[in-house]
Amino acid sequence: MKKTKPPRQKSKRTKSEGGAGAKVYIVGESPMVEEYAELCATKGYSVQVQWNQEPTRKPVFQSSHITCSSAIPTTSALALELTNTDLVRKRQNLDRLDRALPSTAAILSSSVTVTATEQSGWIKQKHRLVGFGVLPTLVLKPLVEVAPTVFSPAETLNVVQRFFHSVGKEMALVQDRVGMVLPRILCQIINEAAFALQEEVASPQDIDTAMKLGTNHPFGPIEWADRIGVGQVNAVLTALQNDLQEDRYRISPLLRHMAQTGEWWKRTTYFIRKD
Amino acid sequence: MIKHLGIIGAGTMGAGIAQAAALSKVEVVLYDINDTILRQALERVKTDFKKGVEKGKLTSEQTTEAFGRIHPRTRLADLSHSDIVIEAVIEDLRIKKDLFKHLEADTRPTTILASNTSSLSITAIASAARYPERFVGMHFFNPVQRMKLVEIVLGQRTSPETAQRAIDCARQLGKTTVVAKDTPGFIVNRVARPFYGEALRLLDENVASVEEIDRIVRIEGGFAMGPFELMDLIGLDVNLAVTQSIHEQFFGEPRYRPHSIQKKMVESGMLGRKAGQGFYKYEKKG
Ligand SMILES: NC(=O)c1ccc[n+]([C@@H]2O[C@H](COP(=O)([O-])OP(=O)(O)OC[C@H]3O[C@@H](n4cnc5c(N)ncnc54)[C@H](O)[C@@H]3O)[C@@H](O)[C@H]2O)c1
Repeated sequence: MKKTKPPRQKSKRTKSEGGAGAKVYIVGESPMVEEYAELCATKGYSVQVQWNQEPTRKPVFQSSHITCSSAIPTTSALALELTNTDLVRKRQNLDRLDRALPSTAAILSSSVTVTATEQSGWIKQKHRLVGFGVLPTLVLKPLVEVAPTVFSPAETLNVVQRFFHSVGKEMALVQDRVGMVLPRILCQIINEAAFALQEEVASPQDIDTAMKLGTNHPFGPIEWADRIGVGQVNAVLTALQNDLQEDRYRISPLLRHMAQTGEWWKRTTYFIRKD
Repeated sequence: MIKHLGIIGAGTMGAGIAQAAALSKVEVVLYDINDTILRQALERVKTDFKKGVEKGKLTSEQTTEAFGRIHPRTRLADLSHSDIVIEAVIEDLRIKKDLFKHLEADTRPTTILASNTSSLSITAIASAARYPERFVGMHFFNPVQRMKLVEIVLGQRTSPETAQRAIDCARQLGKTTVVAKDTPGFIVNRVARPFYGEALRLLDENVASVEEIDRIVRIEGGFAMGPFELMDLIGLDVNLAVTQSIHEQFFGEPRYRPHSIQKKMVESGMLGRKAGQGFYKYEKKG
């Protein structure tokens, strides 16, 4: 096993320049685990990862500072929990982390489909959990949404702030609400596109082209669903629907179907192109 | 190939389409109700051409030539030689239907009749027509000179030949086309609704501030503008009108429900950039 000698904790001044060998434990869903692992490793952290389910294609990590192991290192100062779809599993992960990590360690947990507040009720040491926004491919962006809870003390927030700073992300503090800001807007756009697709208003390609050229969106909604993953989108929409209890958040049956079969493109083109 | 294009309505969109067509070497007959309006439209085209030359995007020969291809007219019968007529008058079903009725009598049965409507049904506009199969929607975007997209909207009875000729025409004008069924909001105006609607709800529920939501959408989402900046640019009145129209046409479907924040701001005159105040404050020009 590759192992880097963890240099001694540097002084506060240099901390912002990267992980400096500090340990981060990352557990959850692919591809967010890989994406965060790479990000942390390139910023100097020593990263240990575990997936809820091994990705079908084993990722080849660019960095040698990433190891795969299910044992939670008791010396980690920070752990990331990146599960959006399987909340039973998420709860188990958090429980394991809470038991194994030293009480000074912070847990950053994705709070896109379940609030950080609800999650902190699942563990004993509530003070250590802070919510944040994670969806596939958004990990690479230089801004992250962070949702503290009523239990989060300044100390925990400081750890979180230093961490995000060290990986080159600015923070946007948002209220601890399901869907947060960007996932809620994006997934509702994708949902609307799925309704349009289902009603055969236009082809998937034309919907994407129209949104990029007609209103300057960086990606078309179908393209976006492919990047984020329809399963993730469906999880966000389901959470919004349960949380807000409004008809407005009804999920397109086509989208739900895609999430179940994993066949967004083929199926949609099949439906649209009868010729 | 389109040689003669007729345009009805020399407003923002009509003049923009005329300009794009003339630059693509199409002869344009531009029709409106009086000479003053037409003169003002040509003045706007001229100014825009001048800017294009200053920026080095167009040559002065190009613009002089193009300008000569736009023929202002106040008689509907002058559109009779058009291969295709694009209607861009005010958004009023009665006026549009009435115009097309006269036009059908004046033009050859092979002339394509297109409407640039944003929110009316092509099927409804064509309902009184003798040949509804030659009606089609050609939805350009504002400003026409810069926006590459045209939504080709198929009415209930639009023929495939008509659709193809509308597509060819838009391409000849240098545009990219997408095809949409005649449904409220077509593609863009409909699928873009949640961008504004969810942002307004996030604000109302106090999830984050106007500035924070815009910052998140820009930096994390990679959008050129956040939803509130964009609403300010579009104009809150225009944005609300589009939302209301789609909401009504879908018989009150809750996904399109407008938000009271929008309505209140429109009522108070905080219409966005053009009013100097919307979600943000803007320095008044001049
Ligand atoms: N402005 C936009 O952003 C935009 C974008 C896409 C589509 N549209 C659609 O384009 C159409 C025109 O919009 P606009 O913004 O250019 O409006 P506008 O108000 O700038 O121009 C409308 C023009 O129609 C003329 N007109 C009115 N009644 C007439 C008649 N009976 N005969 C001939 N001309 C008549 C007016 O004199 C005016 O010049 C509308 O259907 C609108 O929905 C507008």
